[in-house]
Amino acid sequence: MKGRKLYNRILVLRKERGMSRKDLAEKIGVNFQTVGYLEREEYNPSLDLAFRISEVFGLPVEMIFSTDPMKPLSEELMAQRKQAGGQNDV
Amino acid sequence: MMSEALKTDKSKRRMGVVLNYGTLLLALVCFYIAEIDTWNIPYAIICLAALAGVVYSFMQVHMKTRLWHLAHARTQDLDERQIQVTHESLRHSYTCFTIISLSIFLIADLYKHFSSRAGELTLMPVIAGLIYLAHTLPSSVLAWTER
Repeated sequence: MKGRKLYNRILVLRKERGMSRKDLAEKIGVNFQTVGYLEREEYNPSLDLAFRISEVFGLPVEMIFSTDPMKPLSEELMAQRKQAGGQNDV
Repeated sequence: MMSEALKTDKSKRRMGVVLNYGTLLLALVCFYIAEIDTWNIPYAIICLAALAGVVYSFMQVHMKTRLWHLAHARTQDLDERQIQVTHESLRHSYTCFTIISLSIFLIADLYKHFSSRAGELTLMPVIAGLIYLAHTLPSSVLAWTER
């Protein structure tokens, strides 16, 4: 069975943290070429690997992976803040 | 720029695979033509040159790219994507190997029926070629399909 495509922010998060592919690969226990495949969204990670990636970046899995194309992180944070603000007003 | 370089790399690998099996086939064909005809220096030169081509392209495609090591690595030394791609390469290899082996045996059997000299020919080079094929097919599939 062919799984659906997963979108991710691995490339942006890795660059933000100044990590090389090799550094990230060592931390999540895969080959550095696999990091390339993940960044190009050519390979869907297992749940275990997705959690290892989220632990390395210190972010929840849903902030890194999505089944819909990902918006910029800043845009998503603004939307969340707006939503939280709206809830506080109520 | 990067993807262009990778594309070139992939096409080089594919050319290497074609060269590898092409030279192997040339060596086998030349060997059997020489066996049926008479061995002479040009046949020997073509055979040796083809075998040198097999060795050279093997080193370029399988060893230099480390695909041979990937295809023959233990499962515990691979990550989940590598396990997935090696598994796929083995699946394709089994299919290719079965089709090629059965075709060769069919041709050999037909030749035996129609030629009086078939009994004189040795099957050893074909068997050696098939053993080589069995060992190299998984990494050849990886060379053909991997990015």
